[in-house]
Amino acid sequence: MKIDLRAKSFGGRAVLGPIRLQVARGQRVALLGPSGIGKSTLLRIIAGLDRDFDGRVEGSDRLAIVFQEPTLLPWRRALENIIIAAGCDAATARDLMAQVGLAGREAHYPRQLSLGQQRRLALARAFAAGPDILLMDEPFASLDPETAARMIGLTAGLLERSGAGLILVTHDDSEPARLAATPLVLGGDPAVIGG
Amino acid sequence: MLVLWIVIARISDNPRTMPGPDAVAARIWQLAAAGELWFHAGMTLFRVLASFVLAMAVGLALGLWMGRSRTADHWLNPMLVIALNIPALVIIVLAYIWIGLNEVAAITAVALNKIPVVTVMLREGTRALRPDLDDLATAFRMSSLARLRHVVLPQLAPHIAAAARAGISLIWKIVLVVEFLGRSNGVGFKIHLLFSSFDVTGVLAWALSFVAVMLSIDLFLLRPWEARANRWRRDED
Repeated sequence: MKIDLRAKSFGGRAVLGPIRLQVARGQRVALLGPSGIGKSTLLRIIAGLDRDFDGRVEGSDRLAIVFQEPTLLPWRRALENIIIAAGCDAATARDLMAQVGLAGREAHYPRQLSLGQQRRLALARAFAAGPDILLMDEPFASLDPETAARMIGLTAGLLERSGAGLILVTHDDSEPARLAATPLVLGGDPAVIGG
Repeated sequence: MLVLWIVIARISDNPRTMPGPDAVAARIWQLAAAGELWFHAGMTLFRVLASFVLAMAVGLALGLWMGRSRTADHWLNPMLVIALNIPALVIIVLAYIWIGLNEVAAITAVALNKIPVVTVMLREGTRALRPDLDDLATAFRMSSLARLRHVVLPQLAPHIAAAARAGISLIWKIVLVVEFLGRSNGVGFKIHLLFSSFDVTGVLAWALSFVAVMLSIDLFLLRPWEARANRWRRDED
């Protein structure tokens, strides 16, 4: 996956400046920086959710994303949530649910799961898509330290087993090290890497 | 209501213009036994269902389109406002003149009366679709069909149910007018004949039997479907 961004602006105001980033399968990077600097915007551009920018995103790697919120379909059961979004078979979905500690919850609707369980379901869904590179947008931000540590542990294990690369957006300096990701700091106005 | 009806019938003491419930019930029984009820109610029901399906399908498509695309909304909205305000009778008369006194004209006229209302309701629903779930569908590259089925339609279900509820009762009233004006069978046609002979018992018998049909559709089709679509909101199972 390669991004060659020249500029990204919102309503005439430049938010992101020239940014070049290349991430391959197995490589892990973390985009750091204060809130509102444009980290999530950059991730949205990489994920193909924002197409209104000046520059190019290249590569045929499979991407999967874990949003800040679990973002589940409330009207579909846990297992269906994985199958529908990731397009995998039921066995893969069950296996991943077991890996994130949700075995036995396949028939639950999202609202019957705790927030921590919903987040683990979102993590399982992303890995069920068999990504070459996993995109994560502040996935541990609003969690209590214990839950965050558990989620980070699960993520590290799943990355290890699947061999997927990682682009993590976070404002917590300690997270990159815990996931063995190279920290890249976004700064300046408009923001660039190392600015 | 039944008691009130009996009392009014007694006070008016004119079984020709204000028949009691017993007379109407006897007439319904008589019509049912003769088989006439089933044929004409069946024809009316067929027209109701055909125009209902047509109006819901077209209204859903237009509502989705107008809710999603600002350009479509900009260009189609004036037409929608006009369509909402054209009297049903005008559409029916024009459809019969332009298309002919046939089934196609009848069903088209009824559907055209209902489409604008469905469109408005579903346009509002579409505007309220959750953007985060849109992102989910885009990021996971869900097919358009999967997106419609699993992401969009479940969110629109309450709006579709409301439009269906409001629609089916409006539609059967318009179907009666359409039959009254230009069909040779159906409940509206029978009421036309009975009107010519001032047979109030007959008019009430036909109207009430069809109200019963519509109530059972609501009770046995719409409500169970709604309950099923809302299953995920409940805690049990």
